[in-house]
Amino acid sequence: MFSRIILNDMLKSKLTTLITTIFIAIAAMLVALSAILMVNLSGAIDTLMREAKTPHFMQMHAGEIDQTRLEAFASSHDYVEDFQINEFLNIEGAKITINGTSLAHSVQDNGVSKQGQTFDYLLDINGKRIDVHDGEIYLPVSYMKEEVAIGDQVIIQNKAFTVQGFLRDSQMNSLLASSKRFLVSDQDYNALQSVGNVEYLIEFRLQQLEQLSTLENDYITAGLEANGPTITYPLFKTLNAISDGLMIALILLVSVLIVVISLLCIRFTLLAKMEEDYREIGVLKAIGLRVADIKKIYIAKYSVITLVGASIGVVLAYMCKDLLLENIKLYMGESENTALAIGLGMVGVGVLCIIIMGYIYLVLGRFKKIAVTEAIQFGTAQEKSISTKHFTLAANKWLPTNVFLGLKDVMTRKRLYFTMLIVLVITTFIMIVPQNLYHTISSKDFTTYMGIGNSDMRIDIQQTAEIKTKANQMVKALANDDDVQAYNVLATKTYYVQQDQQKKRIKVELGDHTLFPVTYAQGNAPKETNEIALSVMNADELNKKVGDKITLIVDDEAKPFVVSGIYSDITNGGKTAKATFTTSSEDMMWYVINVTFKANPALNAKVKEYADQFSYAKVSHIDEYIQQSYGPTIASIEKAAFIAIVVALLIAMLIVFLFIKMLTAKDRYTIAVMKSFGFTNADITKQYMSRALFVAIISVIIGTIAANTLGESIVGAVIGTFGATAFTFTIQPLSAYVLSPLMLICAVLVATIIGASYAGRIKISQYMKE
Amino acid sequence: MKNIITAQNIIKKFGVGDEEQVVLRDISLTIQAGEFVAIMGPSGSGKSTLMHALSGMDKVTEGQVTFDGKVLALLKENELADLRRNKMGFIFQQPTLLKNINVLDNIILPAMRDKRKHRSTIIKKAQELMERTGISGLEKRDITQMSGGQLQRAGICRALLSNPKVIFGDEPTGALNSKSAKEIMNIITQINQNGTTVMLVTHDAQVAAKTERILFMRDGQIATEMTLPRYNGQDLHERIDKVTAIMKELGI
Repeated sequence: MFSRIILNDMLKSKLTTLITTIFIAIAAMLVALSAILMVNLSGAIDTLMREAKTPHFMQMHAGEIDQTRLEAFASSHDYVEDFQINEFLNIEGAKITINGTSLAHSVQDNGVSKQGQTFDYLLDINGKRIDVHDGEIYLPVSYMKEEVAIGDQVIIQNKAFTVQGFLRDSQMNSLLASSKRFLVSDQDYNALQSVGNVEYLIEFRLQQLEQLSTLENDYITAGLEANGPTITYPLFKTLNAISDGLMIALILLVSVLIVVISLLCIRFTLLAKMEEDYREIGVLKAIGLRVADIKKIYIAKYSVITLVGASIGVVLAYMCKDLLLENIKLYMGESENTALAIGLGMVGVGVLCIIIMGYIYLVLGRFKKIAVTEAIQFGTAQEKSISTKHFTLAANKWLPTNVFLGLKDVMTRKRLYFTMLIVLVITTFIMIVPQNLYHTISSKDFTTYMGIGNSDMRIDIQQTAEIKTKANQMVKALANDDDVQAYNVLATKTYYVQQDQQKKRIKVELGDHTLFPVTYAQGNAPKETNEIALSVMNADELNKKVGDKITLIVDDEAKPFVVSGIYSDITNGGKTAKATFTTSSEDMMWYVINVTFKANPALNAKVKEYADQFSYAKVSHIDEYIQQSYGPTIASIEKAAFIAIVVALLIAMLIVFLFIKMLTAKDRYTIAVMKSFGFTNADITKQYMSRALFVAIISVIIGTIAANTLGESIVGAVIGTFGATAFTFTIQPLSAYVLSPLMLICAVLVATIIGASYAGRIKISQYMKE
Repeated sequence: MKNIITAQNIIKKFGVGDEEQVVLRDISLTIQAGEFVAIMGPSGSGKSTLMHALSGMDKVTEGQVTFDGKVLALLKENELADLRRNKMGFIFQQPTLLKNINVLDNIILPAMRDKRKHRSTIIKKAQELMERTGISGLEKRDITQMSGGQLQRAGICRALLSNPKVIFGDEPTGALNSKSAKEIMNIITQINQNGTTVMLVTHDAQVAAKTERILFMRDGQIATEMTLPRYNGQDLHERIDKVTAIMKELGI
C-alpha cells in the first residue's frame, strides 16, 4: 500500500519531487567529490613524496661550500638517515629555448639538475625514477600543458637536447615554488656548468620526521652553509597541495551551502505538503491512527527521494571525478588510495542521507502539534499573523495597492518568507565570495599579502659573485633613468637572534620598507633603525608580538630592536624579517629592487631593456610575475567564480519558483477572493513580485554583508593556511554591488512571474463554495 | 425597466467524455435593473453555477450572457475584472476577508486598486457604509477578532463601496445564527430598496420570501418561478408559506 501512496503522491507533485531530488543529487555529488578529491590529493602527494624520497630538510646555498664539514655534520648526528649535496644550475631564461621559444620572460628560476643519488629523485609520469642519458632532457610536468611533446628540441646556450619525457619534482612542482629543475645527464650537466650559477641543495633525510626541529637547530648552531632559503618537508607538502587544495576547499564550501539549501527545500516542501494534507491528517488522528503511523508515509516518500537523489549524485561524482582529478594526476600522479577515496565518498554521502532523514524526522515532529478539531474545522493551520498595525492601506499614500499588499504580506507572515530569505542570502554569498576572492588574488595588491611589495618591476640579484657591486651598478642605472619614479633596494642578510641563551638565525631584509610596503597583519613597517618587522612564521617561532623587544647580533655586537609589525610572507620559506639599519658587511645573500615608473612607459620594453643590460639579474614585470606564479590558480578561481554565479542564479530561480508556486497554491482561496472583486491576474503577479523583490533586496543586503565579513574570514582562514594573514577582500564594486544583485533580483523576478502564473489558472468559482 | 442581465440558452458542462456532467441545461432568463431575485433549489441543482455564470465568474459552455449591455464571453480577462470591480458586488457564505489587513483596509481594497487618488473620499464612504451596517468603530480591528455577523457586514460594505449595479449573494446568511441572519437580510433588502439589483442564492425560504422574484431550480433547469410584491415588513409568514408550498410541489 505504501508504494502506491508514495507513487501517487510523487506523480501529483512531479516538479517539487524533481527539484528536491536534484538538490539532493547535487549535494551528494559535491560531498562525494570533495571526499574523493581530498583522499586522492593527499594520497597522490604522499605517494609522490615517498617515491621521490623528498628531503626532510633542504638548505639552498649559493657560494663556497665546505663539503667535508657538511658530511662530517651528517655522519655525526644519529638521526640523519641520509645526506647528499645536489646541485642546481640556475640558467638565465634567455639562454634556454624550447621549440624555438625563449624562456626570457619566465619569472621562474629555471635551471638544470642531476638526478639525486640516493634520494630526492625526479620521477617520470609513471612515478618511476628517471634514468637520463646524454643528449636527453626531461622538462617539468607543467610544460606538458604547454603543448611541448616528447621529441621536441630544447637548446641551452647552443647545446641541443631532445625532450625525452616530463618529470614530477616533489619539491618544485608547484608554480608557487620559484625554481624549476630540468633534468639532464651528469655529463651534460658538467658540460653546462659555465652557462649558469651553481646553487647547492644541501639535503637531509631523517630517521623520524619529528626530529626536524632538532636538525634545524643543530644546523644553525653548527654555523653551516646557509646562503639561501631553507625549506622543510611540511612546506613542500603545503606547496604541493595549495592549488588543488583551494579548489577542494571551494567545492567543500559550496557543498555545505547546497546541503543547507537542500534541507531548506525539503523543509519547505514538507511543510507545504503537511498544510495541504492538514484536514486528512486531522481525520487520521481523529480516527485513532498514531502519529508514528502517519509519519511513516512521509518518511517512506522522502527515503525514496533521498536514496534516488544520493544515487544519482554518486554516479555523477563518479563521472565528474576524472575531470577534476586530471590536474592532480598530472602533477602528483596516481594515488594508491582509490578504493579508500570511493569508500570515503560513499561514507560522506551516507552521512548526508542520515542528516537529511534526521532533519525530515525533526520537521515531522510538527505532526504532534496538529490539533484535531482545528484541522477538521478549518482544514488549514490557523496562522499566527504578526500584525503590523500602523502599516495600513488607508494610511498608505505612496505605494501602489499591489505593492502595498505584497509588502504587508511579507511583514505579517515573516516566518513563511524566512526560508526564501535564507536561500537568497546563501545564493548571494555563493555569488559574491568567489568573485571577491578572484578579484582579490588577481589584483596587484594581493602580492602584498604574500610578502611582495606592489611595484611595476621587480629585480632580483642573487647567486652571483660581487653581488654588492652589481647591485650598485643597477642602482646607478635606475637613478639615471628619467622614466623611473621611485625605487628601493632591499638587501637580505642572515643575522642571529639572541634568545634564551640560544641563537636562532633569521634572514633580514634591509632597506626602506615604507616605499613598496607589504600588508601588515599587525603594526607597521619599520621606520627607525632600532625597529624590526617579523614575518608571521618568525613571530610565531620567536614568540614575539608587536612592541616586544628582540636582540640581534649585528656586526658582532648585540643590538636591541623593537618589533614594529608582523606581516605575511610566503617567499623564501616564509621566515623573514625587515629592518632599516645599515651594515658595513659586504656579504649579502640577495638583493631585491622594486621599481615604479612614471606614467605609462612601455613596461615590457623597460623590463626588456633592464634584462638585456643586466644579464646577471632576474628582471620581471610584476603583472607577469603574478600571472606566472598564480596564473593557473587565478584562472581556476575565475572559472569557479563564474560557475558559482551561474549555479547561484539557478538555485535562486529554482527555489523561488518552487516557493512562489507553493505560495500561490496555499493562497488559492485569497487569490480567488481578490479576483472575485476585480483584481486581475496581472495584479496578483505584481503582488507576488513585490513580495519576492522585498525579500530579495533584504537578502542581497544581508548576503553581501555576510560575504564581506564571514566570507572574508572563511577565505582569510584558507589563505592563512599558506602563510598569508590579515586578509581583506579587494572588491570590484560594479560587479559585487551592482551587477550581481541585479542579476539575482532579475532571476528572482523571472522565477516569480513563472511561479505565479499558477494564480492565473485559479478559478474563482472553484474556491468560492468552500 | 432596463434589462441588466440576459442569459440566452446557456449550457454549462463540467468534465469530459464519460465523466461529462451537464450542470446548466439550456437556461434563458432576463433580470431587470432594480429587481430582487432569489435562486432556490436542492443541492446540485445548479443554483450556484447559474449565479457564477451570470456574474462572469465562470464561463458558459454554450449560449450567451449579457451584463449591462456587454457580452461576457467577448470580454478579456482584464475587462471582466474591471466589470466585477466596478459594476458587481459579491457577498459569499463565508466571510471572504483577507487576514493580513484590518477591517477598513479590507473594505477599501478593491476601490483602492485604481482610485488611490480619491483615497480620502473612499475612506469617508467606507466609514459611512460601516455606520449604515452597524460596524462603525471597528475600522482598525483585526479580522480574527470579529464575529461572523460583523465580518459579513464588512463584506457587504466592500461589495457596496463601488456603487455596483448588481449585488450577488451566495448563501449570504448561510453561516450565520438566526439573529445575525435576520439583520443581514434587512441590510440587503434595504440595499435593493435603494435601487441596486440584488440576486441571492439560498436554501432558506425565510430569505427567499423577502425577495420579489424566486427562480426554482431542479436538475440544471429553472423548474418554475414565482413573483411576490415588494416586501414591506408585513405578511412574512404568508410569503414563506407560498414559497414552501412551491418547494414541496417541486420536491425541493
